[in-house]
Amino acid sequence: MRIILNRFKHNSLFYKMFFITILIIVTVSTLITWTTFRMSEKFFIDRFSLNNSKVMAQIKESLGTFQYSIVIASNNLMNNGTIKSFLTGEHSNVMLGTYYYNVKKQMANIKTSVEAYDVSILVYGINGISYATDRPSWAASDEALHNHFITTNTLRQPKKLLFHLEQQRNQKQNDRSIVASKAFMEPTSKYIYGFMYFTIQEKDFRKFYSSYTSLGNNVLVMDQSGTILSSNRNEFIGKKEPELLKYATKLEEQQIDYMDADFKGKDHLIMVEYLPTFDLYLVNLIDKKAAFANIIDKKSIVLICILFIFLAIIIVFFASRGLTNSLSNLVKQIGNTPKNDFDHYIPVTGTYETRQIGLAFNSMLDELHEYVNKLVLVQKQKRNAELAALQQQINPHFLYNTLTSIKFMVQQGGKEEAAETVNALISLLQNTIGNISETITVRQEIDNLKSYVLINQKRYGERIRVNYFIEPECFEIQIPKLILQPFIENSFFHGFNKKNGGTINVLVWKEGATLICEVLDNGDGMEASADNKLPITKRKQAMFSGIGVRNVDERIQLIYGEAYGVTISSKIGEGTKVRISLPVQKN
Amino acid sequence: MKKVLALLMVSMLLLAACSSGSSNGTESKKDSETNEITAWAWDKNFNIKALELAKEGYASENPDLKVNIIENAQDDIVQKLNTSLSSGTTKGLPNIVLIEDYNAKSFLQAYPDMFHPLTGSYETDDFVQYKVEATSVDGENYGLPFDTGVTGLYVRTDYLAEAGYTVEDLQNIDWKEYIEIGKKVKEATGKRLLTYDPSDLGILRTMIQSAGKWYVKADGTTPDLADNDALKLSFEIYKELVDNDLMNFHSDWNQFLATFNGGEVATVTTGNWITPSIKAEASQSGKWAVVPHPSLPGMESVNASNLGGASWYVLNVPGKEQAVDFLTKTFGSNVDLYQKLVNEIGAIGTYIPATEGEAYQTEDEFFGGQTIISDFSKWAEEIPQVNYGMHTYAIEDILVVAMQKYLDGQDLDKVLEEAQQQVETQIK
Repeated sequence: MRIILNRFKHNSLFYKMFFITILIIVTVSTLITWTTFRMSEKFFIDRFSLNNSKVMAQIKESLGTFQYSIVIASNNLMNNGTIKSFLTGEHSNVMLGTYYYNVKKQMANIKTSVEAYDVSILVYGINGISYATDRPSWAASDEALHNHFITTNTLRQPKKLLFHLEQQRNQKQNDRSIVASKAFMEPTSKYIYGFMYFTIQEKDFRKFYSSYTSLGNNVLVMDQSGTILSSNRNEFIGKKEPELLKYATKLEEQQIDYMDADFKGKDHLIMVEYLPTFDLYLVNLIDKKAAFANIIDKKSIVLICILFIFLAIIIVFFASRGLTNSLSNLVKQIGNTPKNDFDHYIPVTGTYETRQIGLAFNSMLDELHEYVNKLVLVQKQKRNAELAALQQQINPHFLYNTLTSIKFMVQQGGKEEAAETVNALISLLQNTIGNISETITVRQEIDNLKSYVLINQKRYGERIRVNYFIEPECFEIQIPKLILQPFIENSFFHGFNKKNGGTINVLVWKEGATLICEVLDNGDGMEASADNKLPITKRKQAMFSGIGVRNVDERIQLIYGEAYGVTISSKIGEGTKVRISLPVQKN
Repeated sequence: MKKVLALLMVSMLLLAACSSGSSNGTESKKDSETNEITAWAWDKNFNIKALELAKEGYASENPDLKVNIIENAQDDIVQKLNTSLSSGTTKGLPNIVLIEDYNAKSFLQAYPDMFHPLTGSYETDDFVQYKVEATSVDGENYGLPFDTGVTGLYVRTDYLAEAGYTVEDLQNIDWKEYIEIGKKVKEATGKRLLTYDPSDLGILRTMIQSAGKWYVKADGTTPDLADNDALKLSFEIYKELVDNDLMNFHSDWNQFLATFNGGEVATVTTGNWITPSIKAEASQSGKWAVVPHPSLPGMESVNASNLGGASWYVLNVPGKEQAVDFLTKTFGSNVDLYQKLVNEIGAIGTYIPATEGEAYQTEDEFFGGQTIISDFSKWAEEIPQVNYGMHTYAIEDILVVAMQKYLDGQDLDKVLEEAQQQVETQIK
């Protein structure tokens, strides 16, 4: 978890970029796909309505032709004397035989006008006699014909050619027919002497339009009561659809080409053509979902889209990863650079930008380095100068006290003793002030120590004895000036406050490349402080020069580095041991 | 990196291309080694059903052969055959086609090359002879006989009884006797003897075939009307039936059924295929019997005739061997199939060995326990064979007019003479 979080933190640029890109790709693709769907649907609807209105006109025309042929046939029937006499009056059986023969001949003629269609003609006279070219099942018996609703309807509107839907309910589904009916009427006396019926199977009637239909693109023929006479969809036939009738009348009134409407809970495109001679509506019902869903293969488009998005995401993933990787690597490198480790350069890789940043960072490190080095150098020099100044500085109290001691020696007549002390002072001053070089040999330092010890013994008596144990080969080794003197001084003035006397041993030897100098006393000792540092001395006037024990360590480290320095160990009542380590340096 | 990108692009394009155009299906190619044959027939409840039964039976013989049965109206089949054969192509035509016997010759004579001869592939002696004749041209047999149109005289025993007749009195009578009986029956019951459509001369066909005559001579082409004694006699009998008001008239099939189902006529004379329609009126069960068809009096004539009937033909298209195998192993030799045909669809075949089968011996309670199938089969074997020729319906159209003229009182010889001339000019 933590690793993931860390990863996320390191690559947040990448993830942000990546997710934003995905978001944009997905959004854009979705929007484009959606828009495409909408636009193509709109386009198809327009095309459909354009096409279909042409188709509707075509259907209307062919239906018109069909109706015209029926009208011709009905006129011929009406004007036919044989048929009139066949339908009126009583006939003997023999006459009936002749009539059947003659009517058949007449019918054969009349039928030619409807030959192109599978129409059967049935005539039925008021004398109860009927003749059919191909008797339809709905008119199986004369009695059925007499009581049939088509007959009663026709009697109500004798002049009109009426269209009906006749369904044989007890039989199979396909036994539906469209029946056009009209009464035989004498033109002058208005005497009705029979009925004519033109029966066309609904499935044949359907042929006028069924070739234009397709899934979701339905055609239906509806009468003024909203009853559907014929449709390419079986389930509609015979149903009353007042809803559809409402749309049809609305479309017809407003003279609109098509309208979007809700029919049976589905989104439909409805086109209506009124057939005035039929007094029927020709309705084109397009189920948008079914019709257009088929045209636009939404599923495969969406699938292709998803595929492309997926591929795009893969590309984006690798591309942006390549871009951001160098950057985040750079950031990681920079982040890992420790606060005081300016030597950690970062690798210059990746794109131009990241390479430039890397270079800039590295050169910044260079400059920083240089600056810090300079600063350290300056500081060192400054400190050196300070220390140099301190070591040149001979404490006036020391001179004053020493000279006062010498005066007392002269007054007491110790001429020899005074001369010796003056010589020691001279040698001491000569080596410290006179010698301008910073370092001196061990021999010179020991000489200085001897002179200083002599002066002090002359002043304070000889209760503290000093012994020197110097490895002979160490005499010529160079060491900083006044490096042992402060410790001797310290032992003299602080090491023997309680004890009455003791010894100070100065030991110098070589251990490999290191020169070890030790100042040991067997005086009071002291509380060793944690950092092995000497307590600060308050008695300034007692000091020989500006250099105190505290400065020594600092000086050594300034000159030779941290590997060298001063360590102090002490035990109360037993004494103090100062150990100085220095590199072996010869002139 | 560029290469990888290019590859990705290409694969995307390929994917897009693949997803759009993979629906081009494979087109199956038919060759002469086809394992599929097609058969055309009309009448779903009769011929199509018979084919299906045959297919069922054949499945055990050769399960690999696929038989497609397609229903077409008879007129459509005739039209399609005419169209294709006259343009010299057999493309789109089936392997097996059912053709009505009256029409068969017109096809066989006009396009003999288009049909595959069946001579020798089945035992013609096993079939009733008039059918074999009807399916042959120039000594070559082209068709496998299917159903028989053997006629019978369906009589109402109750009406006959009222007039004092029994079924025995009607066995093997001629038309004269039949008319006399009819007169008595009408007197007793008020019912006419029979019903007919004045524009359909099927009754004439049955009359003349019982005397071994047809509208044409034995060559199948020379019209034989004016000097055809049988035809002349048939005309006279027809007129006598009309004049004595023994003939009821109907104008279409429905009226025909309504007439005898309604008990309006005492007898029905037609092909055996009317049996299911007679039996449709269950209330008349036991009141019917079938007697032999009347013969023509005073000339050589038998008490058996034919009306309708069809046979199977094999077209000369790839798959004809399979088609022949299918036909000969089913309709050509399968006795069991014929039992099924009788039991399930009431179709009487013309395969003589089948008449020995159990189904043929079934007694029909509707007909007072008469074994009508067996009787019909017996009569079928007696039907005189005639050459129907190519022009049966064309000649009949002319004869319908002639009949009306004759009924109107014109001289019969003159009427037939005129008809003869008209036919000669028309069918040359």
